Amino acid sequence: MFLAELGSAFLLASFVLAVLSGVAGVVAGRGGDLTLARVARRAFYAAALGLVGASGTLLTALLSHDFVIAYVFEHSDRSLSLPLTAAAFYGGQEGSLLYWALLLALMGSVAVAAAAVSNPGTTAFANAVLAGIVGFFLLVMVFVASPFALLSGTPTDGLGLNPLLRDGGMLIHPPFQLAGYSAFGVPFAFAIAALLSGRDDAAWVAQTRRYALVAWGLQSAGLTLGMWWAYHVLGWGGYFGWDPVENAALMPWLATTAYIHSAQVQERRGTLRAWNFGLVIAAFLLSVLGTFVVRSGILPSVHTFAVSPLGTWFFGFLVASVAISGGALARRSGRLRSPQPVDASPSREGAFLLQNILLVALTAAVLWGTLLPLISGMTGRTLVVGAAYYERVSAPLLVAVLALLAVGPLLPWQRVRGGWLRLLRWPLAAAGVTLAGLVAAGVRQPGALVALPLVAAGLVTCLLEYGRVAVLARRLAGPLPLAAARVVARNRRRYGAYLAHVGILVVAAGLVGSHVWQQSRQVILLPGQSVTVGSHTLTYEGMAAQPAGDHSALVARLAMGDETLEPARLTYPSLGGQALTHVAIRSSPFEDVYVVLAGADGGAAAFTVYVNPLVTWIWVGGALLILGVLLGNLVRPEVERERVPAGLGATVPAR
Amino acid sequence: MTLLKWLGLGAVVAACLGYLVVSATGSSAEYYQTIAEMRAHPASGDVRVLGIVQDDVSRTDGGLHVRFTAADAGQTMPVDYRGALPDIFRPGIQVVVDGRVGSDGVFHARALEAKCPSRFSSAQSQGTPTR
Repeated sequence: MFLAELGSAFLLASFVLAVLSGVAGVVAGRGGDLTLARVARRAFYAAALGLVGASGTLLTALLSHDFVIAYVFEHSDRSLSLPLTAAAFYGGQEGSLLYWALLLALMGSVAVAAAAVSNPGTTAFANAVLAGIVGFFLLVMVFVASPFALLSGTPTDGLGLNPLLRDGGMLIHPPFQLAGYSAFGVPFAFAIAALLSGRDDAAWVAQTRRYALVAWGLQSAGLTLGMWWAYHVLGWGGYFGWDPVENAALMPWLATTAYIHSAQVQERRGTLRAWNFGLVIAAFLLSVLGTFVVRSGILPSVHTFAVSPLGTWFFGFLVASVAISGGALARRSGRLRSPQPVDASPSREGAFLLQNILLVALTAAVLWGTLLPLISGMTGRTLVVGAAYYERVSAPLLVAVLALLAVGPLLPWQRVRGGWLRLLRWPLAAAGVTLAGLVAAGVRQPGALVALPLVAAGLVTCLLEYGRVAVLARRLAGPLPLAAARVVARNRRRYGAYLAHVGILVVAAGLVGSHVWQQSRQVILLPGQSVTVGSHTLTYEGMAAQPAGDHSALVARLAMGDETLEPARLTYPSLGGQALTHVAIRSSPFEDVYVVLAGADGGAAAFTVYVNPLVTWIWVGGALLILGVLLGNLVRPEVERERVPAGLGATVPAR
Repeated sequence: MTLLKWLGLGAVVAACLGYLVVSATGSSAEYYQTIAEMRAHPASGDVRVLGIVQDDVSRTDGGLHVRFTAADAGQTMPVDYRGALPDIFRPGIQVVVDGRVGSDGVFHARALEAKCPSRFSSAQSQGTPTR
C-alpha cells in the first residue's frame, strides 16, 4: 500500500516537473532567457530523478511480492526466479511505459546537459520537446495506465509469467528494444529544436548524429536479440516473420540507417539539410506509429497485446507529433535550401544519396504492407500480405544496397577522377571469383548467385580500407602494430563504421544462406527409425517422461552421429494444457540442425527437422555491427582532418 | 540540371518500387475475414480467418494432423490442418488460419498461427477481472 502511494507520488511529481520544464523550455527558447533555460533543464533533471524513484519503487514492489498492486499481481508470482521477477518491470503494459519514460528522461538529461554548454538557446527547445514526450508518457501513467493501481484485496500469489516468456531472452531482448524505441526521441528533439531556433549548423549535425547512433545501436541490438530469441524459443525454424510488431521495430531502424549515412554528406558538403531533418523526424514518427500499432491491437498480428485504451492516446500523440514536426519543417523550408546540390555523378555523396533513396523506398514498402489491413479495411474488406510480399519487394532493394556497400566506400568525395573501373577492380574481382566458385560448386539459386558475390565484394572493399591502415602506419614512427593501432584509434569513427559494414555483410550472408538453402522435413518416427535431412541422419531412440513442478516434460532422444539431440515438449496443466517446445539445436559455423518435437502418439513421435545454413552468421554479424558502433563512438572521436573542401562550412566540430 | 538528374533517378526508383509493391501486393495479398464475412463473400483464393479454438480438438499422426472447430461471433467452422502446431495452441485461444474451404465444407488450413500470449497479459489473466 505504502509502495503504491510512494510510486504514484513520484509519477505525479515527475509529471508536474515535466510540464513545467516543457513550458519553461519553450519560453526560454523563444526569448533567449538563459536563466529560464537553466530552470527548464533542472526541472527536467528532477523529473528524471522522479522517474528513477518511481522505477525503484516498482522494482521494490515486484521483488517484495506486493500483490496488492495490480501490476505486480498480473506479471509475477512467488515461483518466478529473481531475474525474471525484476524483468516484470518492463514485461507489462504499464511497466514498459515507465521503463520507456525513464530511459528517455535519462538519455535526454545527458544530451541536454552536454548540449547546453555550447548552445543553450537551441538546447532549451530540445529540452522542451523531450519534456513534452516524457510528459506524455507520464500523463498516460498518471491518468490512464498506472503501474501502481491497487486491487481491492491482497491476493496470496500473483498470476506469474507465461512459460513462453520464462526464458533468458526475456532478460535481454525487451530492454534493448524498448531502449531503442525510446532513444529515437533524443535526435528528434534536437531536430525540432534546430528547426524552431533556426540554428541547424554543423554542431547540430554532430550532436544529432551521435544521438541517432545511440538509438540505432540500441535498436540493432534489440532486433538481433529479438531474432535470436524467436529462433531459439518459438520452434518454427525462422527468425523474422514480417509481423506488424516486427516491422514496427524495423522501420525506424531503416530510416536511421539512412540518416547516419546522409549526415556525413551534410558534414562534408553542407548539403541535404532538409532531407536529414526529414529522416530524423521520420524515424521518431515511425517509432511512435509502431508503438501505436503494437499497443492498440488495431492490426492483425500474432503478438496481440491486451486491448487497452492506450491506442487512442498514442494515436493522439502521433497526430500531435506529425503536426508539430510538419509545422516546424514548413516554417523553415525556405532556409533549408542547400548551398550546392549533390552532383549526379559517381561520387561518395552520390552513393550515400542513392543508398538513402533505396532505404526510404524499402521503408515505404514495409509501411505499405504493414498498414494495408488498415487502408483496405476502410473499403470494407480487409487485405493482408504475408512474408511473400515483403520478400519479393525487399530482395531487389537489398541487393542494390549490397552493391552500394561494395562500391560506395571506394568512391572519392565530389567526383571520380580517372577511370572508376580501376577503383573498383578488387571488389569486382572478388565478386567474379565468388560467382565462378558458386557456379562450379553447383549452386543454381539466383538469390545466392546475385547476393553472395556482392557480399564478397563488400568484404574486399572493407579489407581494402583496413589495408590503408598498414600503409598509413608505415609512415609513422615506432613498431608497425603499435602504429597501426594508433591510426585506427585516431580514425575510430571510420574504422568502427567499416566494422559495422563487415557485420552487415556477415548478416546478409546469413540471411541469404538460411533463406536459399533451408531444408525441412516433418516426420513421424517409431523408436529405431531414422530420418535424413540434408547430410544429416537422425535416429529416434526413445522418449522419456519427466514430471517436474508445475509441468510435465516429454523428452525425445535422437542420435546424430555420436551426438544426442533432446528436443522436448513441456505441458502446463495449470495453464489449460499449454505446451512449450524446447528446440534442440546443434550449431556449427555453416549450418544448424534444428529439431522440434511436434507431438507424441503412442510409441510414435512427430518431429520437424530443419537444416538452417549460416544462421550463426546472423548473430555473429549483429555482434560485429554493435561492436563497430561501440568502437567508433564509445569515446569522443578526435576530429578527422582529411581533405575537407574549404568554404563549405560543414566540418566536424569539436563538440 | 543536377537536381533534375536526381529527381529523374528518384522517379525511376519510385517507379520500380511502385511496380514491385503493386505486383507483390496483387500476387500475395489475401482477405482477412471473420467466419461470417467469409460465408457472405466467398473469395476465390486463400483467405485468413480468425477464430477461437473449441473443445473438440482431435489430434492424429503424433500431433501433426489436427481437426477442430473454430468459432467467432456465433459462427462456427470446421478446420483441418496438417503441420506442427504452435506451442500455445489449445482450446480457448485465438488462431488465424490461412487456407480455403474445400468441397467437403471443411476449412483446409495451410498455415495456422496462434496469437501470442502477449508479454502484456499473461495467459491466465485474460478474462480475469482484476480491477
